[in-house]
Amino acid sequence: MVQWNAELARRLSCKEDEKRQLGGLIRRFMSLARTARSEGFQALEGQVDESDDPLLVLGLRLVLEGLPEEALEDVLSTYLLAENRSGWPFLKACVIIEGLLALAGDDEPAVIAQKLVAYYGADRAVAVLEELEAELTATPVAEEDE
Amino acid sequence: MIRSLRTRRSSAWSPPQSSRQKRDALFELASRIALIAERSRAYEREALSEAALVESRRALRLGLELAAAGAGADSIEAAFAANPSFTGLDPGEELELRITLVGLRGLLAREHPYALMRRMSARLGPEYFDKAEAWISYRLKRRHYHPEQLVVPGELPDIIRSLALDPRSLERCLRMAGRELCSAALAGCPQESIELAKPFFGRIGGTILEDDAAHLRSRLSGDEIAAAQSAFAEIVRSLSERGEIELGTSADFGADTAFVSGLTRAVLSLDDRLLRSALRGIDGTLLATAMQGMQPSAHDRILGAMAKRDERRLLDAIDEAQPISGNSIEEAGKRLALRLLNAAKAGRAPREALDRLSEVKSWKT
Repeated sequence: MVQWNAELARRLSCKEDEKRQLGGLIRRFMSLARTARSEGFQALEGQVDESDDPLLVLGLRLVLEGLPEEALEDVLSTYLLAENRSGWPFLKACVIIEGLLALAGDDEPAVIAQKLVAYYGADRAVAVLEELEAELTATPVAEEDE
Repeated sequence: MIRSLRTRRSSAWSPPQSSRQKRDALFELASRIALIAERSRAYEREALSEAALVESRRALRLGLELAAAGAGADSIEAAFAANPSFTGLDPGEELELRITLVGLRGLLAREHPYALMRRMSARLGPEYFDKAEAWISYRLKRRHYHPEQLVVPGELPDIIRSLALDPRSLERCLRMAGRELCSAALAGCPQESIELAKPFFGRIGGTILEDDAAHLRSRLSGDEIAAAQSAFAEIVRSLSERGEIELGTSADFGADTAFVSGLTRAVLSLDDRLLRSALRGIDGTLLATAMQGMQPSAHDRILGAMAKRDERRLLDAIDEAQPISGNSIEEAGKRLALRLLNAAKAGRAPREALDRLSEVKSWKT
């Protein structure tokens, strides 16, 4: 059963132009998943720096430690609530947490895209997913061309 | 959507705010709970009763007393909720109660103290992340771990050895299984398998994996460990069938059994004093590699005879060791045998020891 939480919906709500930034974040997680598979998880440490959201930096360190998913979700959502975010910063943090959980679960890039596009909302999710899947299909061809 | 947010009650969206001073004090409380968790993994209820006797914070003392009496985490939470003196708390007290309950729940679930520390310190805010890591690092430095030398029948050690030929393949399987299943499966494996898996979870995660495997070895039944190993093997099989991992052949690994037996006998034929002097200042990597060509009894003899400084160097080298071929192990074993032979001649060791070392030194790979 789909559970609906009014406070969660209120905090997730943000402007359309802010929501467009989600695409970059989703692509980032797909790229991290590809790196984890091709170079190993420890290589992810070099993929984040101080300019990144602190939640991503700390969360990635926990993923590398292999913190089980339930504990990882507990820790990251506790951090999120401690910061009392709302609107775009809250939405972004939720996508980061969901992306980190997917990485920890060793999800494929395509599965990560499917999970994260939900944060666009029902009206945009399918179109964005088609866009991302098209990019995924095009990637191996581009690599062969090189 | 993140489950813990989706199911959160509206009253639980704002965590209690408290002063830095109070949070520093609560960090100390979290550290104390993590240490109790560590002791209770080894000594069970006895450790809880002892900790309750000396605990000054009321909530933790009561919680420990309940836990020592056999109450589960849900019962303990219900007991606090039903106690009027734990309702209407100020934000600092509320935070203390939350950390105490998280700690007690983890402790009763036998969660690893470092993972529990991560959970509890998260309640204090992200600014305590590094402080928690520093606490864990300090504990890691003081950690004394003595691996059990198990020789367990079963195919998992061979599977892990084969996977390790392609580190990405081993990592895929470990990550897909998750650290908890890996610990349960590795509980029935020799230390060598754990050493191959540890580096993929980093310094802290690797230590937790090793501790949990040792802990589960005494807690799980043989059938439970076998079930965990089957589940891990199933992951390997399915990834292999999908062509996502490569399985090397275990024949590429390990020294010849006759060589292992010869080198083991040669090491055991030397007394501790001679071994200590021969191994003084030895290259840790060389010794760690050669030890892969010995039986556990020889490992114990070497570790027991070594000076502390040399032992640390050896353990560091073992931590960093990568899977290598049987030939490389035999070459390292021959170099070690030469070193021991020179020391044995100078120390007038018995003829039998000299003969055994000469035999290993001249082994034809």
